[in-house]
Amino acid sequence: MNETISFWDAAFLWKEPMAAALLAAALCGYLGVFVVLRRIAFVSAALSQVSGLGIAVAFWVGSFFNVSPHQPSIPLYLEPLTYALLFAALASLLLGVPGHVKRVSPESLVALGYVAAGGLVILVLSSARIAQEAHEVGDLLFGTAVAVKREHLITLAVVAAGVGVLHLFLFKDFMFTSFDPLSARAMGFPVRGLDAALHLSIGISVAVATRAIGALPVFAFLVLPAGAALLHVHRLRLVIVLSLAFALVAAGLGYYLSFIWRLPTGPTMVAVAAVAWLPPLVRALFGKTRL
Amino acid sequence: MSPTALLKLERVEIGFAEALLPPIDLTIEPGDSLGILGPNGAGKSTLLNTLLGLMAPLSGRLSFPSGRRPRIGYVPQAHRPDPAFPLSAFEVVLMGRYPQVGVGRFSTARDKELARGQLDAVGLADESHRHFGSLSGGQRQRVMLARALVADPELLVLDEPTSEMDPAAEHALLSLVSRLGTNRGAAIVFVTHEVSAAAGFARTVALANRTQHYFEVGSPDAMLTHKKLSLLYGRSVGVQREHGHTLVWINGEVSDSEGGSPSTQETP
Repeated sequence: MNETISFWDAAFLWKEPMAAALLAAALCGYLGVFVVLRRIAFVSAALSQVSGLGIAVAFWVGSFFNVSPHQPSIPLYLEPLTYALLFAALASLLLGVPGHVKRVSPESLVALGYVAAGGLVILVLSSARIAQEAHEVGDLLFGTAVAVKREHLITLAVVAAGVGVLHLFLFKDFMFTSFDPLSARAMGFPVRGLDAALHLSIGISVAVATRAIGALPVFAFLVLPAGAALLHVHRLRLVIVLSLAFALVAAGLGYYLSFIWRLPTGPTMVAVAAVAWLPPLVRALFGKTRL
Repeated sequence: MSPTALLKLERVEIGFAEALLPPIDLTIEPGDSLGILGPNGAGKSTLLNTLLGLMAPLSGRLSFPSGRRPRIGYVPQAHRPDPAFPLSAFEVVLMGRYPQVGVGRFSTARDKELARGQLDAVGLADESHRHFGSLSGGQRQRVMLARALVADPELLVLDEPTSEMDPAAEHALLSLVSRLGTNRGAAIVFVTHEVSAAAGFARTVALANRTQHYFEVGSPDAMLTHKKLSLLYGRSVGVQREHGHTLVWINGEVSDSEGGSPSTQETP
């Protein structure tokens, strides 16, 4: 990049990545309210790993058909994103199981998903069939907030719209089953179906957002803005608004700062997102409040 | 069998892999008030979950003689709902309307009016907008009771609703349950550790003990006896009735109840 080019002059460079980052931030900032309230923060990390496994498997399967995932047109059944979505959807349903399992802690099942998927990604990528492509898989697995393909941005927009519509109609139901699932079941509410729908919307969002902007910022947007919002306010609507605002500021300002200071984009967005935690942390440090 | 019975258990065995209690025969009718008593791990919650249809019976028959599952209002154990949720007392009560509103539909002005009315009925109209987590334990349980009642329940189920309350708060809540539940003609089923609560508020008492493979249902006078309570708790339990009070003592602790006003006191 030319040293003298200003941020605004370079709009053609960052327009689409910025749009993807803002969209992913809004999506994750909203879903993060459920993720944090349901105490399933690490489910999103596990889902990110599992969707990565889906992409690695797509590479491996493609090698049997002599199809490279980098070529311009790939049949749907070999498209890495198809595999990422399928794997994430399946995992999000399975990770919803802990609430109904008594002998294993929910954290153990999430850790199993995270570690097993992470290990399998390495094993699949070390297969001789795709070894020569492994060095290129990183970006496809975990995306990069600097360079976002238009098709990834479109997919992200479609998923965000779908999740928006789903949550517009089921928000109250998701909140009831998150707050008090036992009572909801006792009162005849279809808790399992609603849990599956919520987990599915989180799983698909994580898979698509990870592909677009990377695993680290997605995980951060799911946990940090909502967590900070909950420390600042106690009204549900305000929590959602504040979480969205924190996430959007982290994405926009993070991208801008990374551009002008030439820092890695994803980690800069994460650092900005973490700033919202500082006031309550400082207040807690001086005994003014409890976290 | 009464044609109006809400729920009927015939030779029902409950548990996960093996039956926890002997086969149970039980009918719950509108206006009934059933207190389920037993020590920790006795199978009380498993019985409750079976009654609610959350667990299938191992054997026997669970039926709804009216042809449909009754509308249920449920008050969970005090520690159950997470107070960290950013919900107001009003928003929690409104959730009681959701089964009637339906999945994917929006609450109406009428639902909100009913929720406000119910908060008023449990004496918390002024706390409507307060954060649920900032309320006291007793207030939170009253909110939960309002949520259960706003569902217009035919069957009101309470799972150890007073387990973390002091005797005064416990008495206040159970009085409220008794008054509001009875006014509506709802059947009330509650699980409790407190013999005094069962003596004061239940018209029928069920004793359950998994270790002894023991289950029996009857009137408070027939169930709350020295012999049966000693069998239930595996230690000597004294029972004495005086001036309408039921005095129960275990290892020096005395529990006193009279017509819906239980309290506890130390033995001199």
